[in-house]
This record gives sequence, structure tokens and C-alpha cells, in this order.
Amino acid sequence: MIKRFLMVEGANRWLVGAGALALVAGAITLRMFDPATAGFFPPCPVRYLTGWYCPGCGSLRAMHQLLEGNLRAAWAMNPLTVILLPFLTYGLASHALYEVRGRGLPRLFLPAVWIRALCAAIVLFGIARNLPLHAFQLLAPGGIVRP
Amino acid sequence: MFCTQCGANNADNAAVCVQCGRNLQPGAGMPLPATGVVMPPGTAASGIAIQNYLVFAILATVLCCLPAGIPAIVYAAQVNGKLAQGDIAGAQKASDNAKMWCWISFGLGLAVTVGSVLLFMAGAITGLRPH
Repeated sequence: MIKRFLMVEGANRWLVGAGALALVAGAITLRMFDPATAGFFPPCPVRYLTGWYCPGCGSLRAMHQLLEGNLRAAWAMNPLTVILLPFLTYGLASHALYEVRGRGLPRLFLPAVWIRALCAAIVLFGIARNLPLHAFQLLAPGGIVRP
Repeated sequence: MFCTQCGANNADNAAVCVQCGRNLQPGAGMPLPATGVVMPPGTAASGIAIQNYLVFAILATVLCCLPAGIPAIVYAAQVNGKLAQGDIAGAQKASDNAKMWCWISFGLGLAVTVGSVLLFMAGAITGLRPH
């Protein structure tokens, strides 16, 4: 049924509009409230269930810090998010433009090996930040600013 | 089927793409070289030939904090791998799988978010009650 709905002419534009609205609403919420203290932001399910940090733990707090203009604090929360965010923004914009005008932004065709390497890097980052060594714990959320 | 030039969705028996006019009959147009190619026809111009959903896969992994994003990234890699080999059908299949895992991850993330907000509201309401 959803598929049929999505195949209706122009449905993708509505999806893009809804996505853009959600993004703006999310950004305003993140700018107003710090996920570190606000309490109503969703906990990371992985951290909640297992007690381990996942590769994305701290990404909301990092984005809050970015919206506040604190690059250093954002980096301390989740360096991976800070690195990936510009690329993700570009990719999202490209997808949105593609749906709206039928043509995305110029894009590099990533060889499969690169994507697998990126996947491995994300997984390794997730593992490393849980290792009980000081150097690795710097990768955990807030790790670098911790005394 | 999806146009190999602009990525538009066409009827399976379409002769030419409704969007860009590319000949969609088998054997038409540039054949995809077998190896060493990183730029299948159309990807440079449109950015999307067969979507690999990599952006959403990474978003799902890093922002939804969910392991369901990992298979999405693996399938995204498969899409580009098969495209480079000229295996359009295989790429389309991997693309569908990548999309499915993105949606699974997004759905789980949404469920956790809604649950968390509800729990917070319930906590706030019960917290107001005098003991």
C-alpha cells in the first residue's frame, strides 16, 4: 500500500518536503536543548541494552555542539559524526534535488572497496571506543575533554 | 526498470526512457566494460544510476545508532560493485536490499525515539503527582 502511495506522481516531493521539515524541526530542537542534559532525547538502543558505545553514540550531542559553534566539543563527543556530516549533508541534498528536479548533484562513484573500507572503519571505531585503554577511551563520547 | 543514464523508473518493457530518452532495449548504448571501471554510464551526470542508499545507510548507522545500518552499508557496497561489473540486475537487487535495511533501521530508530519521548512524558506526569 505504501508502495502504491509512493508511486503516485509527485509523492516523492511530499516525502522530500516532509524530510526537510523534520530536519529543520530536529535542528531547532537540537539547538535549543542539549541531549546531554535534556532527558527526552532517545538513548542509544545499543548502549541502553548492552552498556557498550556504538559508533554513533554521542552523535546527537556532537550535533548540538556543532549548532552551538563548538567544533572542539563536537569532536570530543563523536569525531566520526563530525567527519561524516559534510558528506552526508551533500548526499542528502543530492537525493532531495534528484527527487524534486530529476537530477542530483555531481557525485563520485565510490568503488565497492571504498564503501567496505568505510564500513570497516565505522565498525572498528565502534569497537575501539569500548576498549579499556586510556588512548581508546578518548574516542568515547566526551572522552577527549575528560580530565 | 531503471534507466541506466538518468535513473528514472520506467515500465519494464519500455523502449526508451520517459525522462531522458535513452534507448532501454538490451544491447543498446554503451556496453559496460568488464573491469577496472569506476564510472558506469550516467552516474557522473546524474549522481544516481541505481541508488545504493549509502547516505541513508550511514545515517542509519551513525545517527540511529542501530546495527541494522551495517547490512545497509554492505548492500550499498554491493550495488556499486555490481554496477562496476556491469551486472545491472544484481545491482538492482542489492539496491532493494539496501533500501529495505535502511527502512528497518529507520523504523527501529523511530520506535525508540517515540518510546523515549513517551517514557519521558510519562515520567514527567507521574513525577508531578504527590507521593
